[in-house]
Amino acid sequence: MELEKYQKIFIQESSKYLEELDAELIQVEKNLQDQQLWGDIHGKIHSVKGMARALSMTDLATFCHAMESWCKLFQEGAKTADERVVQLFFDGTDLLKAFVAGKGKISEPEHLERLRLISKDLAKDPEELSDQPEPELRQSVAPGKIERLRVDYTLIESLLARSQEIMQLEKTLPPLTQDQISAGLGSWINHYISMLKGLYFQLAQLRLMPVQDFGELFGKTIRDLAKAFNRDVNLEIAGGEIEVDIGLMDRLREPFMHLLRNAVAHGIEPPDEREKAGKARDGKIVLKAERRGDQLMLTVSDDGRGLDREAIRAYLKNKMGMRQEDMKALSNEQLLGIICRPDFSSASETTQLAGRGIGMNVIAQAIEYLGGTMNIHSEPSIGTRFVISLPLSLSIIYAVIFRLGKYTFAIPTSHVEAIESIDSKSSEKVSELCDLKGLLRMDGEGTGKGHIIRMRRPPKPVVSAEERKGLGIAADAIIGNMPLMAIPLGELLAKTGLFAGVGIMENGDISLILDLEKIQAAAA
Amino acid sequence: MDIFIFEASDHYIGIEAKYIYRIADNVSIVPVPLVPACYEGLIYYRGDLFDVIDMGRLMENEASTLHDDPYIILLKWDAGKLGLIPDRIVGMQWVETEAGTETVFNKNGDTVKLMTPDEIWGKLAGLAYGT
Repeated sequence: MELEKYQKIFIQESSKYLEELDAELIQVEKNLQDQQLWGDIHGKIHSVKGMARALSMTDLATFCHAMESWCKLFQEGAKTADERVVQLFFDGTDLLKAFVAGKGKISEPEHLERLRLISKDLAKDPEELSDQPEPELRQSVAPGKIERLRVDYTLIESLLARSQEIMQLEKTLPPLTQDQISAGLGSWINHYISMLKGLYFQLAQLRLMPVQDFGELFGKTIRDLAKAFNRDVNLEIAGGEIEVDIGLMDRLREPFMHLLRNAVAHGIEPPDEREKAGKARDGKIVLKAERRGDQLMLTVSDDGRGLDREAIRAYLKNKMGMRQEDMKALSNEQLLGIICRPDFSSASETTQLAGRGIGMNVIAQAIEYLGGTMNIHSEPSIGTRFVISLPLSLSIIYAVIFRLGKYTFAIPTSHVEAIESIDSKSSEKVSELCDLKGLLRMDGEGTGKGHIIRMRRPPKPVVSAEERKGLGIAADAIIGNMPLMAIPLGELLAKTGLFAGVGIMENGDISLILDLEKIQAAAA
Repeated sequence: MDIFIFEASDHYIGIEAKYIYRIADNVSIVPVPLVPACYEGLIYYRGDLFDVIDMGRLMENEASTLHDDPYIILLKWDAGKLGLIPDRIVGMQWVETEAGTETVFNKNGDTVKLMTPDEIWGKLAGLAYGT
């Protein structure tokens, strides 16, 4: 069963690479000496080879390897390709497609003969191929059945918006008495609405993207960073078949860029240092995705030197004035979590690529905004692991929606500890609450005497008694705990400084998502 | 070019028609705190979020003559999205002029001020938020 699953992934991924390979061969045919393009072609074939090896498809891996050897020559400029070479690669790509369709095997006599001939050519020097006679004109073959389409993400967004709007028509249905509405019509309307909701959720699935694709976005960047820092680094992706909303992935691009940059710049040691420490010369960065209940767990780990605990202690001493005995009392999680503080930097000098001291704070904020949490694990000379837990839905967060005066606000549910009714005995408590009405300049509006929403302790490690207090917010009325589609604030609303985003409820109503960290800071 | 003309606080304002995305009505505007008086709130229309502005207040900082279910002129351009509430929609007119700031022409004896969405946005961005 597992093998079938991986074979399916192999077919999907390889087919995508081979489609792209065709396009790149067309380009390289027009610019035979484009070394970068040959590098890209090499990368595609290498990816197919890697997957083939992982699934013990030896014949396919060997054939890819032979093609790669030639790519390397053109990529490095050691040899110059000509049109016959490109044609050989087109033929090779066709054969790779046959291999992929046969899950790593070919059995058609025609395919076996072609494998023999192309392999024979690839065993030669590319210049020897040029001395051969012109290949016969190939018979044009129609492309395979069209099974997938590339669709502009904005079109999907637009379709989703339209179907959401149609669903909202339900709200505009004029009130009809029982006499006016026949049982048949009522049943038809219910069926119509359920069909529309089904359409919406099917459309929503179009927004999903495999984690593998997400991880591969960083492949080139990691390679470039590794070169810049003189490191040898391999990126591995596990759980790449898990599909996640493209909106969520898009918001994780920047945070992951910071994490991976830090892993290369601060985590992975130079090859010689690794060798001396008894490690493989190549460092390893793993991006792993898994589902746990309704959470998406994304882990970024490296096998580098681990976080610099001395730098953390120096920060606690010099910037926070913490005594040695207090530092010793901190848990491992609290100590490592210090790196998420805004002014923390372990880099001895700022470079263009890392060490500006803003990265981890940016990551922590972005993950908090998405309603997620991040745990940090690190062992000296073994490596560092960032475990990010996110709600596994679309760019949808669950939030407690409440009303205060004429405004509707939302707080991500993951931050809420409890909701309590305010009764006459609670007046003492109310005075201790965050003055949200005051912060929002709501003079004379709303009572704030319906409920208290108590927040969990701040997600970042706390080191002082003051920080240990959770935030309490008074509400006029609780609307509910429900899913929200989170949209970033526009430029104008961002200037208000107290909101994290705008939430759209399933019925189309709007709420403002509170930025709890900023509210707590403003209240303090 | 085609100019969409509306009235706000005794001003006639023209916007090049290519920026007009829709004229919406029967849409509830959600109020937002910490914004200038002319900022009426937000609407979510066809998958887009629009800041909704009372043009009368933006032009003159005076109470507008808004009614309960105003028309909202939705603008979409490369730099942003805005919903404008006019006192009254006048209509469309073809004018033989190039779009530009402070371009003025006459319509039935009234002076119409041509504005670009960027100009309106610039006015809004210059106001105080969060206080």
